[in-house]
Amino acid sequence: MTPSPTQALATAARAVAASKIYGSGDTEVRALDAIDVAFEQGRFTAIMGPSGSGKSTLMHCMAGLDNVTSGQVIIGETDLTTLSEKDLTLLRRDNVGFVFQAYNLVPTLTAIENITLPMDLAGSKGDEAWVDEVVGATGLADRTKHRPNELSGGQQQRVAVARALAGKPQIIFADEPTGNVDSNTAAEILGFMRSAVDQMGQTIVMVTHDPVAASYADRVVFLVDGKIVDELEDPTPQGIRDHMTQLGA
Amino acid sequence: MFKLALRSLIDKKLRFALTTLVVVIGVMFVVGSFTLTDSLRSTFAGLAQDIAKGADLTVRVDQEFGGDFERATVPEAVAEQVAGVEGVDLARPELAALNVFIVDGDGEPIRPPGPPALGFSFNPGSFFITEGQQPSAPGEFATDTVTAANNDLRVGETYQINGPLDAEPFELVGLFNFGSPDSHTGLGQTMAAFELEEAQRFFGMEDGYQAVGVLASAGAEVSEVQARLEAVLGDEYRVITQEVEAAEQEEDFNQVVDIFNTVLLVFAFIAVFVSAFIINNTFQIIVGQRVREIGLWRAVGATPRQVSRSVITESAIVGALSTVIGIGLGLALALVLRAVLEVIGFPLPPGPLTLQFRTVVLAAVVGLGVTMVSSIAPAMRARRISPVAALSQDFQLGATGLRRRLITGGAVFAAGVVSLAAGMTAGMDTAPTFVLLGVGAVLAFVGMNIVSPVFARPAASALGRPLKAAFGVPGRLGRDNAARNPRRTASTAGALLIGLALMGLAAVVGESIKKTFDNILDNAVEADYFIQSSATGFGPPPGFPARVADEIEALDEIESVMRIQWAFSGLSVEGEPRDIVAADMSLADDHFDGQVSSGDMAAGDPRTALALHSDSAESLGVGVGDTVEATFPDNQTETLTVVAIFEDAAIYGNWLIDGALWDRHFNRNDLAFASARTADLPDAATEAEQASLLERSRAAVNGVIDRYPTVKVENQAEFRQTQQSQLTAIIRVIQVLIGLSFVIALIGIINTLSLSVFERIHEIGLLRSVGMTRKQLRRSIYWEALIVAVFGGLLGVAVGTVFGVATALALPESFVQAVAVPWLDLVVFVVISAVAGLLAAILPAVRAGRMNILDAIAHE
Ligand SMILES: Nc1ncnc2c1ncn2[C@@H]1O[C@H](COP(=O)(O)OP(=O)(O)OP(=O)(O)O)[C@@H](O)[C@H]1O
Ligand SMILES: [Mg+2]
Repeated sequence: MTPSPTQALATAARAVAASKIYGSGDTEVRALDAIDVAFEQGRFTAIMGPSGSGKSTLMHCMAGLDNVTSGQVIIGETDLTTLSEKDLTLLRRDNVGFVFQAYNLVPTLTAIENITLPMDLAGSKGDEAWVDEVVGATGLADRTKHRPNELSGGQQQRVAVARALAGKPQIIFADEPTGNVDSNTAAEILGFMRSAVDQMGQTIVMVTHDPVAASYADRVVFLVDGKIVDELEDPTPQGIRDHMTQLGA
Repeated sequence: MFKLALRSLIDKKLRFALTTLVVVIGVMFVVGSFTLTDSLRSTFAGLAQDIAKGADLTVRVDQEFGGDFERATVPEAVAEQVAGVEGVDLARPELAALNVFIVDGDGEPIRPPGPPALGFSFNPGSFFITEGQQPSAPGEFATDTVTAANNDLRVGETYQINGPLDAEPFELVGLFNFGSPDSHTGLGQTMAAFELEEAQRFFGMEDGYQAVGVLASAGAEVSEVQARLEAVLGDEYRVITQEVEAAEQEEDFNQVVDIFNTVLLVFAFIAVFVSAFIINNTFQIIVGQRVREIGLWRAVGATPRQVSRSVITESAIVGALSTVIGIGLGLALALVLRAVLEVIGFPLPPGPLTLQFRTVVLAAVVGLGVTMVSSIAPAMRARRISPVAALSQDFQLGATGLRRRLITGGAVFAAGVVSLAAGMTAGMDTAPTFVLLGVGAVLAFVGMNIVSPVFARPAASALGRPLKAAFGVPGRLGRDNAARNPRRTASTAGALLIGLALMGLAAVVGESIKKTFDNILDNAVEADYFIQSSATGFGPPPGFPARVADEIEALDEIESVMRIQWAFSGLSVEGEPRDIVAADMSLADDHFDGQVSSGDMAAGDPRTALALHSDSAESLGVGVGDTVEATFPDNQTETLTVVAIFEDAAIYGNWLIDGALWDRHFNRNDLAFASARTADLPDAATEAEQASLLERSRAAVNGVIDRYPTVKVENQAEFRQTQQSQLTAIIRVIQVLIGLSFVIALIGIINTLSLSVFERIHEIGLLRSVGMTRKQLRRSIYWEALIVAVFGGLLGVAVGTVFGVATALALPESFVQAVAVPWLDLVVFVVISAVAGLLAAILPAVRAGRMNILDAIAHE
């Protein structure tokens, strides 16, 4: 099984022979095993795999939240492994969006302040029209002054996605963004992410365990033991289930 | 549950260490002060015995009240009578005088910084010659070995000595050890000893002796000799055994030790009090942070009792450990203090430190007690945590309602103020006064602490507003985090508040005293020159030779000199000792305007005249022309006539008598103070004439002063300047000492900030993940600290100012008449507090910056 990147599209981010090893000796865990993967611009990619297969580790390393043990991680033209801690931070702020499974928001800030947080940290106004558009797309235009504890879980996640979008990053990583919500709410969030890709041309990579969620993506990548073992273009829930049974077998 | 408590401590080492440290400081102060003063007491007991050893029996006039140096003397005839009593081998007259300063070879007077400079008649029973010989002729003196060694005094050389009457040259003929032949037992005082008759002449005490030491003949029973002496001498005299003499000496020493002990304990009390705030705060936060965890325990079956017990257990462990460490450090502190005492001029004979059982018990009460009591409220909160807390995502402990806070806090605060007011209006020197003041202060602070969270949020928001505007996200977050938990902010600020309030109080009272003094100089002072000891330091300046005044008076340029002497408990009226001032009453009004409201200071017979401050006149119910029965320290009673009532107590105190009356009842001849006026020029005199007169008179006065190195002269401007700077120095020292509570408060802020950072680990991870740099993160913590510290600083300064103004108003008029607020100082205090807050934030901020982002995010 070799990955087959669509040559026509530019690559937003890729990992080259990236390995992540935790611990050493007997307790050594190879969370990523010389992984090669590329994410094309303007596409929505889902990552699936059994628990402990290294999905979160891949997200963290690609987003510059953690360092790989060997190999390279490249966002746009930049090799993350060559960056200082400060430059990594600035890269996260300006070029990468990240959505966690839960508790994505700073509780003392309002929804809109959470959305513009990276820009505020940079001390820039950002693109106000774009921010308005993103806020409009979340469907939360009338709740922007609310604090996180006054929003539902689904609303909070939409705000989190909006924050990731607001700075027009090169790529957004989302680690099980719908892991904590019911299926209706999940549909809300996934619909929002889908439209961000379709209408705003955003690049999104999302980890999920849910075939239905993964079916919102353009492409599904399967991860087992820190390696890419398979992938699927234009997936359907049923197609994904079939693949998973195959892998499990 | 014990295991859980222990685990919680081990997991949070830093928090544990800081909390322990806070308690340790309090315990350390308590142990240090008691150990030092216990050791001092036992040292002094030994010293008192050494002093008493010189004689088997001592004969003295039985004094009803007053100081040792004001006691009536034993006439020569009585001394001879003593010598004649059967069984008396030797009756040795003893003489001592204050303010006998030896001037060293460089012309510098030798001034012990705290202890007195004493003159004696040479007493072979207690003074043991180690070099040379004892003084036996006029013009000779001996001094103690320590004074000689420290100041390079050599036997055979001649030195000037400034005595109570005059300065004269003496030849140093011998060195001696005091108390024992082998080593000098002194407490830093300088000792100059003269042959008896020479001492009488030089001290101006020709009519008698302060005491007569008696050595019993071999074979005579001391108690029998004592009985015989008592029979011969009658009630007027006391015949004291060595043991009683030692006990009385020891008691005198212990009075000094007691003052010292009180001062140290006040600091210990402040330290413990501030610690209590911090401990309470820490446990509140810990419980707040563990709500989910505790909810989980409850969900799996822990009873509320077990939960609260685990909190108390944790505090008990902290308390016990702090007690042990505190005792150890307290002993070290005692050693340090002893070294400090030595450096500033109170050398203490070496001796073991005495750690009494009582001290250990107190340490435990403070360490364990304060810690555990401070954790009761948090433990009770922990009890109320329900099992559902474990399930909810963002559970907040039900905070006490603001209304309830305002009411309870207000009530406690009001009770404190009432107690303070009661303490201030009751006389100034009674024990209940201090209890009232202490309890009042504690209640007021606790009340403030209960109420202040109500203001914390709006205050933090207001203080933080400019930060938000100017410093972007870090400023914004700093402000939000300070406002987020008002109870925590208020209570951290509370620790700072205490220190600042006390500093503010000292500053306001000090400034008011200064202002009062300024007003006096502006309004009351008529004299041109002020003559006093050139010694600098704390406490009232020592006396200087009376002869200086005589010589200045004799100058052509000087019209008059007024001599001032004073004594605590200088006379007793209606059974109560009163502090008195003695001055030339005929000149009094010309030199200082005491604001006489009725009568005339210069009227009447100076030997029986009395002038009273209106307060004293009122409380005695007397007016001009009335008589007052007054007893003096020499046991004599006189009928004095009130000649004047005055309103300004600054110079003349409450009770003013004439020097003529003083001379009849006091053996002290040295002057405390003198003022001089130049001759008045005719009204037509030009300014140039005026200036030239001042110039000439100054030169003439200087000519006199130059011969007396212990004396200085100042004109009005200089006088004002030195008085002010001395006052400022004293206030600064007090403030620095109070500033110690700052150090504790600092630890409190570190602790609180660490905890508040810990509480937000997840959030910090989140911020870092979306691109907050380490620097920005650190800044947000600095801003938070700054807001909390400025809040505490402002509150403290406000409270200190209010209390300071109240104190200034309540203090007797003789002390403070004007109320003044040193605004600049207060601003500086707030700045200091802000800087302290920033310093305290360094550690938590750096730790927060170093945190691994993913670990932080994983933290819930
Ligand atoms: N900080 C760490 N230290 C040691 N081992 C770790 C650490 N983080 C992850 N691992 C290990 O690395 C492997 C991959 O973990 P990762 O969290 O990436 O899995 P995942 O695919 O996201 O699983 P899940 O679906 O359960 O979220 C696992 O075996 C895990 O135990
Ligand atoms: Mg995962």
